[in-house]
Amino acid sequence: MSDDKHDGIGWHADADDLRAYARGELEAPRLWSVDAHLIACAPCRLALAEAGDPLALDAGWARLDAELDAPRPGVVEALLTRIGVADHTARLLAATPVLRASWLSAVLLVLAMTVASVYTADSPWLFLALASLLPLAGVALSYGPVLDPTYEMALVAPLHGFRLLMIRTVAVLVTSLGLNGLATLALPEYGLRALAWLLPALALTTTGLALTARLGPVLAPALVSGGWVALLVVTRATTHGTLVPFTAAGQGVAAAIAVVAAVSLHRLRDRFDGSPSPSSITDFAHRSAS
Amino acid sequence: MTTHPTVSASGLTLRYGGTAALDDVSFRLHEGVTGLLGPNGAGKTTLLRVLATAVPADRGAFTVLGHDPGTVNGRREVRRRLGYLPQTPGFHADFTAFAFVDYVAILKELTDRAARHREVRRVLEAVDLSDVRGKRIKRLSGGMRQRVALAAALLGDPDLLLLDEPTVGLDPEQRMRFREVIAEAGQGRTVLLSTHQTEDVAMLCRRVIVMAHGRVRFEGTPAELTARAAGRVWSSAERDPQARAGWRTGLGAFRNVGDPPKDAELLEPTLEDGYLLVLDGEPVEVASA
Ligand SMILES: Nc1ncnc2c1ncn2[C@@H]1O[C@H](COP(=O)(O)OP(=O)(O)OP(=O)(O)O)[C@@H](O)[C@H]1O
Ligand SMILES: [Mg+2]
Repeated sequence: MSDDKHDGIGWHADADDLRAYARGELEAPRLWSVDAHLIACAPCRLALAEAGDPLALDAGWARLDAELDAPRPGVVEALLTRIGVADHTARLLAATPVLRASWLSAVLLVLAMTVASVYTADSPWLFLALASLLPLAGVALSYGPVLDPTYEMALVAPLHGFRLLMIRTVAVLVTSLGLNGLATLALPEYGLRALAWLLPALALTTTGLALTARLGPVLAPALVSGGWVALLVVTRATTHGTLVPFTAAGQGVAAAIAVVAAVSLHRLRDRFDGSPSPSSITDFAHRSAS
Repeated sequence: MTTHPTVSASGLTLRYGGTAALDDVSFRLHEGVTGLLGPNGAGKTTLLRVLATAVPADRGAFTVLGHDPGTVNGRREVRRRLGYLPQTPGFHADFTAFAFVDYVAILKELTDRAARHREVRRVLEAVDLSDVRGKRIKRLSGGMRQRVALAAALLGDPDLLLLDEPTVGLDPEQRMRFREVIAEAGQGRTVLLSTHQTEDVAMLCRRVIVMAHGRVRFEGTPAELTARAAGRVWSSAERDPQARAGWRTGLGAFRNVGDPPKDAELLEPTLEDGYLLVLDGEPVEVASA
């Protein structure tokens, strides 16, 4: 066997990588490329045999064998692992309905339309109202029996329901706030005022989740959204100029609400794991479906 | 039986509005396969959902291997020992069979990637799906999806397997294959198998529970259930009006179950005859376990 580093395949695995691989310490996604490479490259397999101790090597072969036919992860998953998300967390996220392209493009469309409305109406309030609400909508739709077809399977799995909820919520929030942020960039003439959606968005999301623990995954976000719209309609009818939630005082209140709701959400976390009481959210799907 | 029961349930009651889906249900489950028979609406699915900790009972309690699902920690321990195949399992249709089972494995706390993938391959192999593991679930047939869901239930070698009508929608060959998988799973493990097929029970089960209207009507061995119909099955040229149930067999004669007339031509009873008789009329006293 030659030591030639450039045969038909074009490259060879790094010696350090091979040693880490033999010890079972190589991390994805580098792990995958070495896996894929080893399958195709006899010289590197030989190098691997020399790099590791025999025991670890056995485990390595067993793994390689398993990898041979484990399907490649999808685009979202690959992206997530590339930015450092653990592969199992990435798979949980890939199973989140609202992280799908269809949902993301719907959000983008709505945002584009409201941004356009800001230009035609010469007032940012529709944009601010919607941008505040979209994260809650995304989080609400990523949880619960209505959109998650495996809701019951996830519920009876030992992974704590609150943990799954938080993993998904953080991902949806980051995505949603990111899209909002992009839209905000399209409104430079409003300056920081165009960011006034951020604190209300956090307040609405945390309140919606905290109430979900008590009222279930449909009623709670619906009530919170309804309350938000009502608040805006009333303040718009009674005040001129900036709507109350987007004033400095309103922002302060929003921040306070977000903190209080986050604390009570944490207190109620076991409610997301199936409660011993029959009126819990766990049975919501079945009770409301019939 | 001398061994400790895997599940002991007492007084489980769950009402949906006016109907009692479970009405004071008590039983014990031991190692091996136990069949759960009952007509539509008997409460089989409700019972399995309660045992799977998907929905809490209004009243009553149960333990799985001594763990009480009424507490947060107990519930997690129960869930760690549980494999559950729902009657209508949901899927992420865009996932491949492998990715989906892998997803469920992650929910079951198998975080080590290599070990998890080995386990996923093992269960897919067990249900004969290795060949299509790379196919998206939306491109699989109904029977194949059922097998994907069974594979997910088998993950992590659970002590208690709850299977809600797993053989529905399978072709005869696959049904036999499924029975093999279930029988194998019943070795050293406790399986509760809800079904409408008395053959499933006759072929697989060490014990059988019959439910109707949310209550347990019978609990015993398949032989004991069959014995309920001893001397109570007879043949006649036309449907006997005295019979509790009767149907025309392939041979043209009527098979009747109930209280036979004196000169009746008695037939060898089957499990199905016993089942029909148990369902008929007043609650039958529960055979002692
Ligand atoms: N989520 C629910 N909401 C209201 N009623 C329900 C609900 N689930 C079950 N029921 C009622 O409880 C009773 C038992 O239903 P269950 O689904 O447990 O029966 P089953 O024995 O599984 O029937 P099948 O053989 O048709 O699957 C039925 O009367 C049903 O209508
Ligand atoms: Mg059912």
